[in-house]
Amino acid sequence: MPITPKIVIPAVLGLVIGVILVMAAVFLTKAVFSEPFQVFGMGAAPDQPIDFPHDVHVEKVGIECMFCHRTVDTGASAGIPAVEQCLFCHKDLGREQYILPESEELEMLRAHFEEGEPIQWNRVHRLPDHVQFLHEAHINKGINCSECHGDVGGMEVVGQVRDLKMGDCVDCHRENNAPTDCLTCHY
Amino acid sequence: MPVSRRQFLKIAGISSLGAVIFKACGFDAEENLVESPVNLPEDLVLGTDNWYASTSSLCGSGCGVIVRVFEGRAKKIEGNPNHPMNRGKLCVRCQAGVQQLYHPDRVAGPLRRSGPRGSGEYQSITWETAEADLVQRLQGAQASRVILATDSLKGRLATVTKRFVEALGIQHHSFATIDQTTNLRAAMRQLFGQEQLPEFDLDNTNFLLGFGADILETWLSTVRYSRGYGEFRQGDHRDRGTFIHVDSRFSMTAANADKWIPVKPGMEGILALSMAYVIIREELGDKDAADAMTEGRGFEALAAYAPNVVEDMTGVSENDTIYLARRFAHEQPSLAVGGSSAGAHTNGLFNLAAIYSLNVLVGNIGKEGGLRFNPAPLSPAAGDSLPDSTFRDWQSIAADMGNVEVLMVRNTDPVHGLPQDLRFQEALPNVPYLVSFSSFMDDTTAQADLILPDSTYLESWGDDVPDPGPGYEMVTYQQPTVAPFQDTRSFGDTLIAIAGRMGGSAATALPWASFKEAVQEGARELFALGRGNLTVEGSFEAFWSGLLQRGVWYDQHSRPEVSVNPNPLPTEINPPVFQNAPHEEGMNLIVYQTNSMLDGRLAHLPWLQAAPDPMTTVVWDTWVDISRQDAELLELKSNDIVEIRSQYGAIEAPVYVNRGTQPGTVSVPVSQGHSAFGRYAENRGTNIMSILAPLTDPNTGALAYNATRVKVTKTDRKRTLPKFEGVVEALPAPTVDLIQIANGKGDAH
Repeated sequence: MPITPKIVIPAVLGLVIGVILVMAAVFLTKAVFSEPFQVFGMGAAPDQPIDFPHDVHVEKVGIECMFCHRTVDTGASAGIPAVEQCLFCHKDLGREQYILPESEELEMLRAHFEEGEPIQWNRVHRLPDHVQFLHEAHINKGINCSECHGDVGGMEVVGQVRDLKMGDCVDCHRENNAPTDCLTCHY
Repeated sequence: MPVSRRQFLKIAGISSLGAVIFKACGFDAEENLVESPVNLPEDLVLGTDNWYASTSSLCGSGCGVIVRVFEGRAKKIEGNPNHPMNRGKLCVRCQAGVQQLYHPDRVAGPLRRSGPRGSGEYQSITWETAEADLVQRLQGAQASRVILATDSLKGRLATVTKRFVEALGIQHHSFATIDQTTNLRAAMRQLFGQEQLPEFDLDNTNFLLGFGADILETWLSTVRYSRGYGEFRQGDHRDRGTFIHVDSRFSMTAANADKWIPVKPGMEGILALSMAYVIIREELGDKDAADAMTEGRGFEALAAYAPNVVEDMTGVSENDTIYLARRFAHEQPSLAVGGSSAGAHTNGLFNLAAIYSLNVLVGNIGKEGGLRFNPAPLSPAAGDSLPDSTFRDWQSIAADMGNVEVLMVRNTDPVHGLPQDLRFQEALPNVPYLVSFSSFMDDTTAQADLILPDSTYLESWGDDVPDPGPGYEMVTYQQPTVAPFQDTRSFGDTLIAIAGRMGGSAATALPWASFKEAVQEGARELFALGRGNLTVEGSFEAFWSGLLQRGVWYDQHSRPEVSVNPNPLPTEINPPVFQNAPHEEGMNLIVYQTNSMLDGRLAHLPWLQAAPDPMTTVVWDTWVDISRQDAELLELKSNDIVEIRSQYGAIEAPVYVNRGTQPGTVSVPVSQGHSAFGRYAENRGTNIMSILAPLTDPNTGALAYNATRVKVTKTDRKRTLPKFEGVVEALPAPTVDLIQIANGKGDAH
């Protein structure tokens, strides 16, 4: 059968529409049922370049979240600690305070510091570009970190525990009498 | 299966649409990363900007800036609202300062020449090696045969440089392509015994008379004057002032005036004395001053300047002169300012002294709305001063280049700025060692054997004592707003490091560990004074952080008391001398700095290249302004290329037929025509400085850059000037009838 425009145009159009429909279906299904929200490529608990055990630091040592995430009450972002900050504890002070001298992970950390090379962590929580989230506003209102991030002290590798989708945000805003205007988050 | 062209296009189009849709669902892998910086910055909050107060060092007027820094990158420069010089305003040049930081052709680190001179072949070396190279050269050379050439230095950088130069016994010379200050300073010294340039109280004056000084464009402290001008024209609690501008060129300043009076080049002083004649004859001014200025002889002493006698010489009619003199004397307080082209002649000092004498004659010295003085810089807090060199000094340097062993150049470009007649460029290959501290490959740096790149002002410490200042004591501070973007180091730090390596008296003379310490040493003096806008009890650290927050220290109660003894006015006519064109008298060449790129030192910044000239809207090029009458005579149209020939050479550039240009003159901006200086400036336009006659004012040695006459010849070529004018069709403005709605009795409100 010769390929004529009569056949090609509806065939290709149908193909494209079909693909778009399938994609939309996948998008919606995943968006509704998956936890966490996986459409944008987020894993539950991605691997990190250096194994940083949150449970040890939070639960065993008893470090406050804000010791490392310093700007959580002053900025939009909670802040990822500088390499230098890890070395507050993990450096050789010439006394017995050098924590875990034999750890390979810490060797990597010190290498980053000595070479002046920033560490690129894999993001665990990522909101779409059209949403603005301010840590500052939530923390200063008295919302606990664990409300959204779960019991980080119990996680060796941090993963996402709430779906952090719009419904989730709005539910919580309603419960707390927070504004639910569109422009609260979408600006 | 055969597929026709049409089918292929359809399939290709649809599949690329599909690809776009698929792509839009994803995002860059980088967005899934989050970074731990290496060091812990105290004030870094991700997603929040920080503003740092600093001082711009781009043009020397010492404007205060605040710089928006976002996650370690400088994004935007604005004016510091609390700064006495600019009060939150800023000019186009300062706005482009960030482009210096991110310029793609910056010298990224110390370089050592590896190919022949000027070939641009360099090898990258470490700072250690570069310093060692220079120290070895300096130790091997006879100190008196070593020259350090810089821009005009002020503040603690002048202190460090002065000590460096004195300890090593080497020569220091400053260089400015367009020298605005030498004649003006000499005039201030002669009339008022002042070493500092004056402060003009434009804000409160009623009648402003400009002579050449382009206060709104490039002259001295443009932003300070523009701010004062705004107040002068439309301030809240005053009537609109009148501004008359006398200039040989129709500049933007002239275009803003209520009336522009074209004067023949170099005749500004004669016109001013002619006005003085009228003021004295009609007894309009201060009688005591008039007596002192004519040694009791009255207006007869100035008979040579009677308006009817000099009207042919100045090109200003007798009536206009009398009108100017009367208004100037009546509309008090009035203010006469002179500079730029008025001082750019062989009688520059005479012109400026005559113009500023008018202020004495009507009693405006030290008064509100008149001419005020600046106090001497606070020593030692404000640093030592280094005397500026003149064009005459550079003539002798150029003649003696054979005896120079090491030439070091910082932030100045004599290869571009010196007229060809000096043969500076030709003599340069004979200098055994040329060192540049520039962060950009300007024309001089391109010849260098060793480059030790300076950091930009956004990356380094410093301070400045602007001259002219705001009328009271002030020191303005510069702090690094971002870490050095490249492997560069500030000039002060480099000098300190070299002195340390030299050892002996040099190391003792520069005892600081870094230039920041030298700056802090000055700030300690201010702290000890305990006055001004910032006083702190107790620790210097608290004072220092307060100083960095404000970016400036000043004391408004430190206005100087100056009494003026009027000097006798000159009685003999002192006409300017011109260098004629080959085989004929020629047309007067008027050279001026462009509003955006000044004398060319900012030609490497594309925003400034693309900022249209305010009068012609030309961008990215050199052009020749010529009057309609002359264009008709020479059968020229806009965009025709002409040759402009002086005794010393010729350049070519397209013509812009300008109805504001005085017949008999051509004006050409200096700023383009770089043979190097990065991708945006290189080989763009032509360099008018190269064909200037080396005439100077014999009293001061300053270059008379408007004393050259040129022959203008049409070539058969054309180049369309890039400009905004004419891009959009101009629509005629609607006419509106004026209707009187009531008798103006003044009780309407």
